[in-house]
Amino acid sequence: MLKNDLIAKNPMGAFSRDAEGNEVARMGLVIARPGLGKTAILVQIALDSILRGKQVVHVSVGQNIEKTKAWYDDILGDISAQAKHDEMEELKLSVRRNRMIMTFNASTFSRPKLEERLNDMIYQDIFRPCCMVIDGLDLARVERRMLEDMRDLQREANMSIWCSGVIEREAQAAVIASQTLPAPCDALGDLFDTVIMLHPESGDESKIFLNVLKDATNRMAPGKSLRLDPTTMVVWGATA
Amino acid sequence: MKKDLEKVRNIGISAHIDSGKTTLTERVLYYTQKIHAIHEVRGKDGVGATMDSMELEKERGITIQSAATYCTWKDYDINIIDTPGHVDFTIEVERALRVLDGAVLILCSVGGVQSQSITVNRQMSRYKVPRVVFINKCDRTGANPKRVTAQVREKLGLNAVPMQLPIGLESELKGVVDLVTMKAVYFEGDNGEKIREEAIPAEMQAEADAARETLLDAVSMFSDELMEAVLEGSPSEEMIREAVRKGTLSMEFVPVLIGSAYKNKGVQSLLDAVNAYLPAPSEIKNTAFDLDKGEEEVILESNPNKPLVCLAFKLEDGRYGQLTYIRTYQGTMKKGDTIVNTRTGKKAKVGRLVRMHSNEMEDIESAGPGDIVALFGIDCASGDTFTSPDVNMSMSSMHVPAPVISLSISPVDNKAQGNMSKALNRFTKEDPTFRTFVDHETSETIISGMGELHLEVYIERMKREYGAEVSVGAPQVAYRETITQRADFNYTHKKQTGGSGQFARVAGFIEPLEEGNYEFVDSIVGGVIPREFIPSCDKGFAASLEKGALAGFPVTGIRCTINDGAAHSVDSSDIAFQLAARGGFKDGYLRANPVLLEPIMKVAVEGPSEFQGSVMGSINQRRGMIIGTFEEGEYTVVEAEVPLAEMFGYSTVLRSLTQGKAEFTMEFAAYRQVPRNVAEGVIAAARKAAQEKK
Ligand SMILES: Nc1nc2c(ncn2[C@@H]2O[C@H](COP(=O)(O)OP(=O)(O)O)[C@@H](O)[C@H]2O)c(=O)[nH]1
Ligand SMILES: [Mg+2]
Repeated sequence: MLKNDLIAKNPMGAFSRDAEGNEVARMGLVIARPGLGKTAILVQIALDSILRGKQVVHVSVGQNIEKTKAWYDDILGDISAQAKHDEMEELKLSVRRNRMIMTFNASTFSRPKLEERLNDMIYQDIFRPCCMVIDGLDLARVERRMLEDMRDLQREANMSIWCSGVIEREAQAAVIASQTLPAPCDALGDLFDTVIMLHPESGDESKIFLNVLKDATNRMAPGKSLRLDPTTMVVWGATA
Repeated sequence: MKKDLEKVRNIGISAHIDSGKTTLTERVLYYTQKIHAIHEVRGKDGVGATMDSMELEKERGITIQSAATYCTWKDYDINIIDTPGHVDFTIEVERALRVLDGAVLILCSVGGVQSQSITVNRQMSRYKVPRVVFINKCDRTGANPKRVTAQVREKLGLNAVPMQLPIGLESELKGVVDLVTMKAVYFEGDNGEKIREEAIPAEMQAEADAARETLLDAVSMFSDELMEAVLEGSPSEEMIREAVRKGTLSMEFVPVLIGSAYKNKGVQSLLDAVNAYLPAPSEIKNTAFDLDKGEEEVILESNPNKPLVCLAFKLEDGRYGQLTYIRTYQGTMKKGDTIVNTRTGKKAKVGRLVRMHSNEMEDIESAGPGDIVALFGIDCASGDTFTSPDVNMSMSSMHVPAPVISLSISPVDNKAQGNMSKALNRFTKEDPTFRTFVDHETSETIISGMGELHLEVYIERMKREYGAEVSVGAPQVAYRETITQRADFNYTHKKQTGGSGQFARVAGFIEPLEEGNYEFVDSIVGGVIPREFIPSCDKGFAASLEKGALAGFPVTGIRCTINDGAAHSVDSSDIAFQLAARGGFKDGYLRANPVLLEPIMKVAVEGPSEFQGSVMGSINQRRGMIIGTFEEGEYTVVEAEVPLAEMFGYSTVLRSLTQGKAEFTMEFAAYRQVPRNVAEGVIAAARKAAQEKK
């Protein structure tokens, strides 16, 4: 079936469940230089949960709802291009049902704002996410307190939270070599259970790799690298 | 008469209720010398303002219809198109926004950015309408244009920058400082018609210098020339205006003007700004669909010599018969020309061609690109495209959304009966989303449209404009039926009564159709059904779609294929095959797993963030699906999809949930399957109602 197939191809599935299939909650960070597919990876993380019938909040700083929705539609369209109309419709419906998008203006994004918007929803039990992705954080400027709050929420609600962060193009090579976080993220590294980096093969931009820098939950060995399809971010070779 | 297309402005004036749109329009028409006395809105003289012709509009404080008025200011031709402010009439808003090239957004200097301005602004952004802001009522106590400008930046997300400073405020308002010319401007005389320019008052010089610097900073990014001149300290007025214009047209900059329409201050400067900063028709990209090329989008050119393409955007019953307002986009329309209505294919001759001033008509010989004129005696509906006979283009997609709500109306007496049909005839022509039909079983007249308010307004117009008093039934959601799997049928219609009998056999299958309402496929081979009876089968199926067997709602999304059958040389007939097709349809339908569909509305609730939780709760309770939330200035907007059936009375609920601080808009999104448990109730109710009618 389409859904199971998609779940299997998802590169992020290994992080969300243990060997017995139990949910593993974590605080995660995806870093990459601009334009490499951080949003696509976050969408994959979200889809991994959504396709298993769980609810996801997608927080986007700086992009509007339409654009964010388009990411999902594009990726779904790409990874299930062969699917039948009916199945596709059902898939889209389950995505709509289980995903909620929250957008913020980049210039006015702040900890109290995020808190106000999240609180109502989570504590009033209107939406019960098992996963939240936060796209577009500026790691150079983000308040540590905000991330600490997120981590508290993550532990308290036993949900997964994944953030994305940009690193400079020039920093990429050093990170690959040292397998450690570059500044300014290094000061925040302790808040995350898992940190992964996306990078292309040097000299061949069409080959994208997912590199595990850190994983405190021991689902993935640090240093492990996984090749991805550059347009869909599914595991390379999984798409026909 | 040779006209300079660069000097044409088609603009809309848009505002939250009571911000002074009518008053400002009145002043504009006065200064442009077309009206000779200023009538105060709701004033003592009882004459009322010129633009608000509709009583109902005044009473409700909303503008429903768009009228166009022509005037001239400093040898620029300006057409003012009255823009409807209400969101329920999506089609009208859309149409009006297409017709205008730029807009003036009026805000009250005390009230600031209010909910309706937010909605209108969003629509203008969606349709890419460049705008200038006019902060009105600066004579009122509490006037604070600075704060309002900040709100425009915050809540509307526009890069709004003052072009003027007020000289005095509230009752002390005397004039404005023009930051481009760096002069003080005073508006004197009984009606502010005398303009006096002077040096900036000494005590304001420092403030003016600072404000000018802000302005130059903001606009120099649109012009390298200006940027250099600023560095050298010698920017000319022309350079500044040019840069402001560039920024405005690209929608990256919004000039802010101030004044008081009521006290006759600043209106002429606003008109100068319209000329200087808003686009000419040729600067706006307009497109049409070429129907000869599979609705391919083509860009229209403001070229008078190309084939004519124009849009009928409003019909009006005037003292002089039916008027059709038309905007020309490409080509020229001359008296005596033959034009074609793209929708109907009917040809018409251009008879009288007039330009509508606020209180008189001017006969003209021809209309070119960008012109807005009215025609007499043209039969059409609002939204129709007219072209010269050599092209086949449509300004709007031929797709009109299906109505989602209906109610029955019945005239209270005989007089009302006649007037009602007159009114309905007119309304359906004006508005393709408003429909009417007679239910054959109950003989009731049913009207249907895009929302509760949509229908309410027409009912009131019926009463006021046509003297047709009607009693109204409860609103009904326009459910539909469709099938979810294929089913075969094989049906023989046979009747032997005395003389000639009836015989026809039709076999085939029905199946879900992904796109479109209905398709008929003829796969008959070997002539088992004679050619002449094939259309009869089609007719029979089409008739079956009117009322589905599940609950009596119209059937959509179905393909009927015939692949076998039989005929009899004497007893077969058109009607026999129609009946056989109906029988076959009925036979297959219930086995094709029919389901109920309901209209889903895209709902946006906008209010202070603190109510976000309760708003989302209320949507959850209504079988709604929350798509997301976003910020709109200080407000949070919750975007959701909710079944229309659950939205009745929502405005009252929302008001009490949020102390009246939140507002919502909704528009049709899609038809979707009704969940089984809900569907059972709807089907039972529909069947019961059908029983009772019998
Ligand atoms: N003080 C003051 N009142 C105004 C001004 N402009 C309009 N008004 C008043 O505000 C009310 C609403 O004006 P109107 O033009 O009907 O607003 P509309 O609903 O936007 O068309 C009327 O009583 C006007 O006289 C203004 O500049 N100053
Ligand atoms: Mg008015």
